[in-house]
Order: sequence, then structure tokens, then C-alpha cells
Amino acid sequence: MKIEFKSIMPHPLKDSEQAEHSIWGNNYEWESPQKIVLNAVSGKGKSTFIGLLSGVRTDFEGNLFINNRNTKEFSNQDWAELRVTSISTVYQDLQLFLELTILENLQVKNNLTNHFSEEKLVQLIDKVGLTAHASKKCNLLSLGQQQRVAILRALCQPFKILLMDEPFSHLDTANEAIIVEILKTELDANQAGLIITTLGEKPAINFNNEIVI
Amino acid sequence: MKSLLKNILFHSKSTTQVILSTIGAFIGMLALLFSVLLLNDIKSFQNSDDDLLSSNSVIIQKKVTKFTTIGLNSTEFTADDIEELKQKEFIEKVAAFQSANYGVGISEYPNDGLPSFYADLFFQSIPDEFIDVETNWNWNEDSEFVPIILPRDFLMLINYGIAESQGMPQISEDLLAVARLKIHMNGKNKRGKITGKVVGFSQKISSVLVPESFLNYSNNLYGSSNVKLPQRLFLKVKKGSHGQLESLMDDMNLDIKKSALDLSKIKTFVSVIILVFLIFAILIILLSILGFVQYIQLLLNKSKQDIVILNRIGYKFETLLKVMLIHFSKVFIVISSIASVTVLSVKFLLINPLLQKNGIEVANNQIGLCLIVVLFCIIGFVLLNYQSIKLTLKKINN
Repeated sequence: MKIEFKSIMPHPLKDSEQAEHSIWGNNYEWESPQKIVLNAVSGKGKSTFIGLLSGVRTDFEGNLFINNRNTKEFSNQDWAELRVTSISTVYQDLQLFLELTILENLQVKNNLTNHFSEEKLVQLIDKVGLTAHASKKCNLLSLGQQQRVAILRALCQPFKILLMDEPFSHLDTANEAIIVEILKTELDANQAGLIITTLGEKPAINFNNEIVI
Repeated sequence: MKSLLKNILFHSKSTTQVILSTIGAFIGMLALLFSVLLLNDIKSFQNSDDDLLSSNSVIIQKKVTKFTTIGLNSTEFTADDIEELKQKEFIEKVAAFQSANYGVGISEYPNDGLPSFYADLFFQSIPDEFIDVETNWNWNEDSEFVPIILPRDFLMLINYGIAESQGMPQISEDLLAVARLKIHMNGKNKRGKITGKVVGFSQKISSVLVPESFLNYSNNLYGSSNVKLPQRLFLKVKKGSHGQLESLMDDMNLDIKKSALDLSKIKTFVSVIILVFLIFAILIILLSILGFVQYIQLLLNKSKQDIVILNRIGYKFETLLKVMLIHFSKVFIVISSIASVTVLSVKFLLINPLLQKNGIEVANNQIGLCLIVVLFCIIGFVLLNYQSIKLTLKKINN
């Protein structure tokens, strides 16, 4: 999978000053299975970056190419197709169905892709220490627990790139380590790349590069 | 997959609104099916081919006054009179009664079952399209017999008047229809006989009718050379024009069978009532479908956030549209089916026996018609909601 940024400038950042090597306004290329980290303070456009790549945001100037195709030509259906086959995202605001249980949240995605068996879903829930809460509705979980569910859901599909927007912000070190191990396994299994945004320390993954924004 | 999706899409549903929309659709469907079936009954209700909703036919003649008796005025219709009638906007067709110009009498054929009799008669004919009896109405010189249509009142007069007073046996319709009649014709110093047979009884034409071809043939042979102008006309007038017809009668000093005019008024009245009922029924069903449309839109807007999430994890809007549409179409199909069964049960068990008890034949294609109306409504429901859901999802996406 290949992603190209051609002089992209998100509308909200148009009037703010950008660093010389910032990704905004310059050209940038990414190819799987590169693993990239974006480490920047708030307001620099980390979530915007993830939003552009996942097709959630279209308010930008310049051109974004995915597999040599300009995303301005993409229909909602094209994006939906990519979100099932190639691009998986963990959103900063998690985007869970709060009225559904942990298992149901995973099933909603997995039913669409048939990526994991039901047993595998149960195993994953167990691995991240949520078995006792599996049948609880997500609105009854803590933010850290919800974050783990959102990460597991993102893995319930084949992907070439995993986009993660501050995925460990509510996790303790122990849980972060568990998640990182699961991520490594799934990234290898899918031979996929990773783009992750963080506010603080980088997770224990061998990153190829760091993007400046 | 569908049940999870439904949980997400319908978790903010309002039970009260579902119940209200369902009741609305049920009442609308009941009203629509009842009005369509009743309209169909009325349309197919035949009074000797006198369709309640078709144009009305009346026979007119000029009034016989004391001046007519002493020869100061005539009851004949001139070519100008006929042309004037044809110009009237509410008159669709005018046909003149053609009369025999010779003497006619009929008598029985021995051994055909009729009592011995001889009666002077008159023959008339009108264009075939005005004949209200379904029969083989053709005649040529090689025909076995001359078909005759008698006024139904004529048979009543014989059986309940003449037969009783003169001690003759009564004659049934069936007997008269199988027995042959001798037709005696005289004129131009010639006499002739030909076989005739009664082929039907007319409810609205009070004349002894023979085919035009026979009348032309016999007038040539026996008729006097004086061309007679018609004295009676057959009019087809537009629905609901009885008011104009009454004015015309006064203006032209015309005479008309009062019952024909009354029937015309009843026809108009019944047609208007049923059509108004149908219009209301269509409005009710449209409103109930719109109620569903509005409810689905409300539901979609309430579930907006969840729909956005579903799309962000890979669900196509087409999939969501399909789930919503199939769910609500099933609800509407169940409502329509229950309404159809209710309407058909009431129709077959209560209304039809009541109509038949009063001598009114009911239409025989009720189930088919009911299914067509229901299918039409379901298609309308699906199309309308398809567009509405598609539009709402598009708005959510933007």
C-alpha cells in the first residue's frame, strides 16, 4: 500500500505557522509496512492527519493519493471498502457503540470482515484483561477499558495500515505492554504498517521514522 | 449481523410513534381497500348494461298536447332538431328510432307452446351500439329468423294485465325465448310472412326492436314511399348532466321517462360519494406512509452518531439503507396483509351477502383487486422510503 501527500494543507491549519520540514504543505510518501510515529503537542494536526488518511476529513488543500488514486475521486463506498480491507483506525474518541457490550462491539466489526473466529475474539478480550466485563455495556467501562476495546476492534479486519490516534492515553504501562505485544503480532500477520500519534513517550515498537508536524 | 445492526439503528426508537404510524397505516389501508372494492362493485353493478358510472342513456320524445291531437303541431324530430341536440355539450350521441312503414302483426307457431293469438305491432330499430341486450343482433335474408327485442314491461303487461283479463295463460320469458313467432307484414298491396324469435328483453327501450338491416329490407318491400321523420330519439348524455337535461326538456317541450332521470341523479350522487371516499382514503394512506417516512427520518437522525461510527468502521450506507428498508417494509407488509384479510373477511361475510340479498350482483375479482391495490401501496411505500432514507444518509454523510 502506498500513500502520498502532495502539498496538503488542512483548512484549520492554513493560517498557522508550520515548521520547515512539517508534513503540512510539503510532499510526503509512505509505503507499507513502514511504522511511523507522530509526536507533537496538541493543536498541531495529529488527529487531522489520521482523519485525512481514514477518509473522515476532506477539508484540505492539495492532493492525497492512496495506491496512486486521488482520494478526491473516492466515494463514501470506496472509503467504506478501504476501511474493511486495507485501512484500520483507532480514533482518539474511540467511536464505540456505548449501548453494546464489549463482545458485541467486536462482533459488529468482525461480522463485516469475518476476520476472527468467535473463540479468537474471546481470547483477545481475555488477553487484555476484560473477560470479567465482556458482557457489560461499554458505557459502564472506564476510559482505559474502552480504549482496549477500540484497539481490539481495529484488529478485527485485514489491513495494510493501522492508524492509531493517541491509543494509549488512558492505559497504564502494564496494559500498554500487553496491547503492544498484540499489535506486533497482528502487524506481522498482516504485513502491515503503522502510523501512531502520541503526546508523550513512544510505545515500544521499532519505528522506521518519525513525522514532523 | 442484522440483529446487531438493528440493535444499533433502532435503539432510540419511539414505541408510541411506531404504534401511531402503524394504526394510521392500518386505518388508511382499510379505508383504501374498502373504497376500491365498493367502487369496483358499483362499477360492475349492471342494470341491464346500464353502468352506474358510464354515460347515461335516455329516450326522448316530444310531448303530445291537445294541439298535436288536432294536427296543429307535430311530435316528429326534424333534421334541424337533431342537429341542435347534437350541438349540446352534454350530449354525447344522438340516435333516431327508425320505424317500419308498413303494417305488422305477430301470431304463434302451432305446437311451439304459445297460446293462439294475433296482435298488431310496430317495429322500430336503433343503431346496434345503443342496444342494451347482449345477443346475436345480426340479420340477413338467409337468416333463419328475425331477432326481436321486446320491452320487459311488455311481458309484464301481457302476464299481469291482458292474460288475466282475457283468461289467457301467462307466458314465461324462457318460453317466449324458445318459441317461434310468425311475423305478418303488409303494405304496398303485398303481404308476407317471416319467422321471428324473441332474443331478449330491454329494460330501458320501450319499443319492439328488430335489426336495422331487417327494417331497411322490409321497408323496401312493404313500406310506403313517404319518408317518416323520427318521433323518438335515443340520447347518450354525460355523467351528472341531469340538470342540463331537465332544462333542455323544458326548452324543447320534450318528454322523458322520469325514472331514467332519477336513475341518472342516483348514479351521479353515488359516484360522487364513492369518489370522495376514495380520495379521502388515498389521502389517509398517503399521510400514514408519510408518517412512516417521518418516523424513519427521526430515527435516523437520532442514530446519526451510530450511523457515522458504522460507516467509519466500514459499513456502507447501502447496507444500512437495506437493513432499514427491509425492516420497515416488512412492518408495512404485515399491516397491509392484516388490513387485506380484515377487509376481505368483512366484504365476503357481511357486505356481499347483504348486497346479494338485495339483488345486487357483486364483482367477482375482489381478491385480485385487493392484492393489486396492496402491491401498489407496498411499492409506493418502498420507493418513498428508499428515497427518504438515501437522502437522510447522504445528509448525515455530509
